[in-house]
Parts: sequence; structure tokens; C-alpha cells
Amino acid sequence: MATAPIQLTPKDYKSDLKPIWCAGCGDFGVLSALYKALSICNYDPEQTAIVSGIGCSSRLPGFVTTYGFHGVHGRALPIATGLKSSRPELNVVVVGGDGDGYSIGAGHFPHCARRNPDITYLIMNNNTYGLTKGQVSPTSMIPLASNDPKIDPKRWKTTPYGMTEDSLNPLAQAIAWDVSFVARAFSYKPNQLTDLLVQALQHKGFALLDVFSPCPTFNSDQTEDYYKEHVFDVPEDHDPTDRVKAFALSLCMDGYPIGVLYKHENKPSLLDEQAWLRQRFTQEPSAALEALFHTFD
Amino acid sequence: MTLQTELAQTDVVLRLVGESGEGTVSLGDLAVKMFVMMGLDIYTFQTFPAEIKGGTVMYQIRARSGVPLSHGDAADVLIALNDEGFDLFGEGLREDGILLYDSDVFTPTPCPGRTDYGLPISALARIQKEAVRHEVTPEQLKRLPAPKNMVGLGALLRLVNAPLQPAEQYIRDLFGRKGEAIVQMNICALHTGADRVAEQIGSKRTPRLFPVPRTEPIITINGNQMLAMGAIAAGMRFYAGYPITPASEIMEFLAKELPRFGGNLIQAEDEMAAIGMCLGASYAGVKSMTASAGPGISLMVEQINLAGQAEIPLVVADIQRGGASTGMPTKTSQGDLNLALYGVHNESPRIVLAAASVEDCFWTTLEAFNLAEAYQCPVLLLSDQALATRKCTLPPPDLSQVKVVNRLTPTPEERAAGYKRYADTPTGISPMSVPGMEKGVYVSTGIEHDEEGNPGYTPELASKMKAKRFRKLETLRRERAHEFVRLWGDTGDLDVGIIAFGSTEGVIREATDRARAEGYKVGHLHLRMLNPLPVESVQEFAARCRQILVPELNFTGQLAGWLRVNTDIRFHPFHKDEGIPFLPNEIYRQITMLAGQ
Repeated sequence: MATAPIQLTPKDYKSDLKPIWCAGCGDFGVLSALYKALSICNYDPEQTAIVSGIGCSSRLPGFVTTYGFHGVHGRALPIATGLKSSRPELNVVVVGGDGDGYSIGAGHFPHCARRNPDITYLIMNNNTYGLTKGQVSPTSMIPLASNDPKIDPKRWKTTPYGMTEDSLNPLAQAIAWDVSFVARAFSYKPNQLTDLLVQALQHKGFALLDVFSPCPTFNSDQTEDYYKEHVFDVPEDHDPTDRVKAFALSLCMDGYPIGVLYKHENKPSLLDEQAWLRQRFTQEPSAALEALFHTFD
Repeated sequence: MTLQTELAQTDVVLRLVGESGEGTVSLGDLAVKMFVMMGLDIYTFQTFPAEIKGGTVMYQIRARSGVPLSHGDAADVLIALNDEGFDLFGEGLREDGILLYDSDVFTPTPCPGRTDYGLPISALARIQKEAVRHEVTPEQLKRLPAPKNMVGLGALLRLVNAPLQPAEQYIRDLFGRKGEAIVQMNICALHTGADRVAEQIGSKRTPRLFPVPRTEPIITINGNQMLAMGAIAAGMRFYAGYPITPASEIMEFLAKELPRFGGNLIQAEDEMAAIGMCLGASYAGVKSMTASAGPGISLMVEQINLAGQAEIPLVVADIQRGGASTGMPTKTSQGDLNLALYGVHNESPRIVLAAASVEDCFWTTLEAFNLAEAYQCPVLLLSDQALATRKCTLPPPDLSQVKVVNRLTPTPEERAAGYKRYADTPTGISPMSVPGMEKGVYVSTGIEHDEEGNPGYTPELASKMKAKRFRKLETLRRERAHEFVRLWGDTGDLDVGIIAFGSTEGVIREATDRARAEGYKVGHLHLRMLNPLPVESVQEFAARCRQILVPELNFTGQLAGWLRVNTDIRFHPFHKDEGIPFLPNEIYRQITMLAGQ
């Protein structure tokens, strides 16, 4: 990883652009933890690229002093994969929301896991579509306590008669796909979030950090208080290298585990394979091109 | 007749038809090899069924001394390995043509004028295999295919009076390591095919292909391969793609070759991922390309627009295929011109190029990269199924003529002075930093932005930045568009002028030459760049023409529409979309018809 020649502070990663988020948005906590984590890792901003898609949280690259790529909705992972494959020496971080990563861009997730590039994927999960103003998202869910028929869960703009689809469990999914680092954080537990972010950044391979980042404007169910009540730390004796136990933990029905659920150290990476191929085959290009034409003699 | 005139007349069109997956293509490839070994030039056309096994494949080979410009009109010789192929493609045989059919499989109804030769190809091949039964191990025997191809090849070569020695040599090279018995089986099969046909030919006339001494080095290569070679020569070091007919061959070729050049290739999970990866690579400073066909390009459209808006160099090759939706995946078309020109929401600058011939696939791809880098925008590169699978003989490109252009990057001084990624300049081109550059930090973005790349949507900013981006195309049109047309045929005033683009160049040239030989004044302007359209070149050409013909392979006349949008010239559109290329005669008839008006 490309570090700065001198120790940088969180402030050094803060750009002049002011975030466009609503007051009380969970993303502020994530951004602030990101500044801290980048400074702990001492990433050189000029050797770092943050890639995002579209959504409230995808505006983040503008607020950081690193290189950035604010692309189209759902394609952040492929863009980051091409970037990292071409310039493996750069630090590559992907940021975005639950709609970007788990809905429109969901098709790229398992394949990024298969390739396992050294990329950190930070998802600010607010369980709704914020930028388009409050539609149901794949992680929108009925609150845990609402088995009680008296509780009427939130009706989204596109589900006025109640949710018609089940919600998606991104952690269980990621473990099933063998994403090589799977963790969850909560934006109102900033120290733990920073620590998990550092671990994700330092993990060699594709790392997912799903952060509960409540939307105060459109989500009245999964609020700061709701999560404070329902999150719990991953038990100290949990062995994240045990995939079956990690899977079981991700399926927990009575709360949300916070911490590192799963880790697959030394999982082969596309980048290593590509480096090996280049090392094995690279020749002087003009001679190689001429020789290649001769194969058509 | 002197030898010299006989040589000049060496020009034979062979058409092979048979069930897909049953060796028709390998027989065609073998024949091509033999003709090239004889010193002849070839030009092929292949049309396949979409199925892996079953369905009929047609492989047409034109061989002549002197470069063929098309796959020819009617076939002189038709080799039909099954009746379905004969029914489907038999009409392509000239009335006095020669038919060789596998008499084990079917017997065609005789037709006056046509000369038929039946040969029990399968049975003869089985006999040859039987003959070596005791000379090979039982294991070998089990895996040994009956040498149908060699029986067919022998017959084919005899029908065009070609020598068998090159084929014998080829068999020795190919099967030598499998032992003398297998070499002999194949050589015997070759001779059996030739002898059995010779018995039937007797003293009847058949076409003649004479060996020609070749002095210059030559390669046999198709459009997809040339396109991939052009990309490598241009410095492309990242490719991502998703399999699709007829573009997959490019990815397969590059998967093998790109590591030799220090490049990376990823087979993506879909076309959106493929183009996204390419954008990431190019943003990182590495030249990248993806190739697909219409359905895949449709999925890429959003990110082609991102490349235009965020000003990222990118080459997207569209190997056009027939029909809308799934359409006719293995057939040819020029139906994606509109997609290449207009496939975008709102507006963003893009360059559209079209390769004109197999050789030109190399040079136009090189130009595609150079333009993408110079103007920092996506370049849509059009090829098509016929061009992609067309094998031609040609001299290897002169690599000393390869000029590689790299994007403009900011100098350290420019960066230190306060870098603006999207600086509004007189040409519209602004220096582009790449990650890792000191003081070059910016956010590449599809959102409307100011010169520094920060989001902004004031009316002033919107109009200024859009004008800046489109100014690049104006710069290109003014400075270089005229370099992307080729003029063929007569100079001066013309009875008929033809304006066309893409893979039809050769066939139009052949038709033009035929008409000119009969005294018509005919010229041909071939467009290699469609956007920005070289308007001045088109108008200068049009001013010389009494009648203008615009032929293209699509149903609605997409080039015709584009010419109407950009110019006020009047012309006769001629368009059809049947999945197959034009024949020289079709174009020739249009020329003579218009000349008479």
C-alpha cells in the first residue's frame, strides 16, 4: 500500500467541498471515521483513489483529498477493479449506498468476490433510497420488534400498502460468496467504525464493510435509536475464519452483530494471477508484435 | 493463350456448404492454406448457423493471383456436403458451374448447364481409415477420425487443377509426429479424392488455379485478429469484455496475447462491468478497450456517455451482427450506425469510426486509440460479422508507420499552479492527470461540473462546460476529419459517385472498377470517420457527381439519414438488411442503372 512520506492527520484528507448531506445523516460519521482511518493507515492521498456510484453517499469522493471517480449508478466495483488491475500499487476504496451496491450493482458483487482484488468496499447502508427521496430499498426491512401486530412498520413511497418483497441480508450473501473480509459497523459507534475501517483497508483482498448509516429524513424505522437498541458486538470468542459460524452469526434473527464476521486470509487474487502472467510472458513489445504477425504467415 | 494471360485469369470462387460442426469450416481453412501456399491471394466469406451443432454453414473462398476485393459473385465450384446446404446455398452457383456433392449423403436433381460430380466422401474416408487398422494402436484407432477432409480437399484441389504437393507437405507437417501410418492414410485420402474426381472429369473443362511465385511476405488474417493487433500496436494494455458473437474472438485472441505485452484482460460478468473496468483502467492511465456486438453495446451505452461527460479516453468496438434484439447473431449487418452515433441520453461528444477492410481494421483501430487519447472521449469503432470473420492475404502492416498518440497530461508547473482537470481551452482539450501524479488530484465525474471537477449546475456553467466538451469534436472536424475518407475510382466529373462506410469498401471498389472498365465515369468516397462527419469532403465529392448512390447494409438507411442531418446533398439510397454482404453485381447494377438516368 502506498503511504505518505510524512505522517498525515485526518484533516489532511478533508477537501474544501462541504458535504451535501442532511443534518443528522449517518454518513457524516462515516466520513469522519474515513478521514481518521486513512490517516491511521497514512495513505498517500495522491496514491489513493476513491470510486463511487450514484446516491447520497456516492458523493463522498469529492469530500476527500484523494483522487476520485464518481461514476454511474451501480458500476463502482467494475470501475475500481479495472483501476486496481491496471495500477495495483494504488490504494483503491469503493464507497456507496445500499441501492448502489445491493440493488443496481448487485450483479458485480459475487464476481468481485471471485476476483478478490485488494479493494475496500465501504457501504453506507441506510435501508432506503435517500437521494430519490424515500423509496423501498433491498435492505429496507420490517423492524425487529414489529412481530407485534399493533406496530405498523414504515410504508415506503413505493410500498404504500406495505412491503411486498423480503429484505436482503448482505452479510450472509457476502459470506456465501466468500468475500474475503466481511464486517459490519454502525456510524454512531465512531471508534469501533474507525477501527473496523482500518482493518478493512489493511486487509489484503476484497473487503466489505457494511455500515448502518441511518437516514434521518426518509427512514423513520431504522433510526439511530433503533440501531443503538438492536446492535451487539460480535462475541469475543467468535472465530471469523470459521465460515459456517460466520454464516450462522450473519443470520442472527434478534439483533445485528457489529464487528468482523468473516475473514478468508490468503485467498488467491486476480491481481496476483495477473502479475504472475505478466512476469511469465512479458516481452519487448515491438519485437513481440512483429513475432505475433509472423504467426499468421 | 500465353501463360501471362492465363495467370491474369486465375480467379476462382469456391463455395463449401455442410452441416455445422461437421468439418466444413476446417475443410475451408485447409483449402485457404493450400491456395496461400500456391502463392495466391484469398478473400473469404463465412456465414454460420447460430447453433453449435447442426444447421448449415457456408464458407466461400475466392482465390486469385492479385488481391481480390470481394468474395465474388456466383461461385464457380460448389462443394455440398449435405442436401440442406445445397438447397440453401445452391443458388449461389453460376449456371454453368461445377457441383461436387457427397453422394453418400444425397443426390441432387441434375440441372442443365451444371456439371455434377458425385463422390462418396464418407465411404472413401472410411476405407482409408480401415486400411491402417493394423498399423496403429487400438487406442489411436479409437480416436482416429476418418479423413473426410482430405478426401474432400483432394477432390477440391483437382477440380481447380491445383497441385497436390503443398497439401502433401502440409499433411506431413501436421501429422508427422503421429507416425507414418497416419501420414500415409491422409495422403492416400487426398489422392483418392483427387483421382476419383479426375476419373469423372475426363476431358471436361474445369477452372484453373496456377501457382504463382510469391516474393513478398504475406499473412492470412481476419478482421477480428487485425483489430486486436491494431489495439496492441496502439498501446492498449487493458481489455475487458463479455462473450458475444461475433466479437468473442477478439477477447480470446487477446487473452492469449496481451500478457506478452504486459497487459491485463478480464472476462467480465456482463457488458456493464466490462466497460466499467475499461473506464477504471483508462482513468488510471492505461489504454483500454472493450468489444461487443449490438446487444452488448446497448448495455454499455450509459457508460459510453459517462466517458464522454467525464472525458475519459476509451475504445468500444462494435462487431455488428444481423437483426434487432437477438436477431441473427451469426449474420452480418451495418445496422448499429445509429446506435454508435445516437446511442446516448442527452448529448456527449464521441467519435465514430468504421473499419473498411481487413487491413484497415489494424489502422483504424490504431487511429481509434490515438483519437480517444488526443480528444479524451469514447471512440466507437464499427466492424461487422462479415469483416470480422473475413480472411484475407495481405502484407504484414509496416510497423514503422505506427504512430502512437498519448493523452495530454499536465506539466508539474501546471499542476503546482492550481490544477484544473476540466480547464476550458480553445481546443476544448484539457490536460488529464492520472492517479499518482503530484498535485494532480481531481474527481472524475459524470455529474455536471466546473473546470476543477466540482459539481455545479448553474445555467452559465452548464452551457460553458458542454460547449467545452463539444469543442473537441469541432477541433477534430476542422483539423483532421478529411484524413478519414478514402477516394477510389475516377477523378473529375462523375456519372455516378458512391458514398459508403465500413466493410463494403472492397465490394464497391470491385463494382466501380467493373463499371469503369465499360466506360462509365464512377468514383467512390469511403468514410472511415462517421462522427464528426467529414462534411467538407462529402460536399466536395458530391459536387463532382451527377448521381450519388449511398449503399449500406441496414433496413432504414442509417448513413442516408446521417448525411441528410449533416449535408444538403441529394442521393439515391440503396439499403437492405438480409444478413449477408453485398455482391459486386448488385452494386454494379445500381451504378449502371443510375448512370442511365
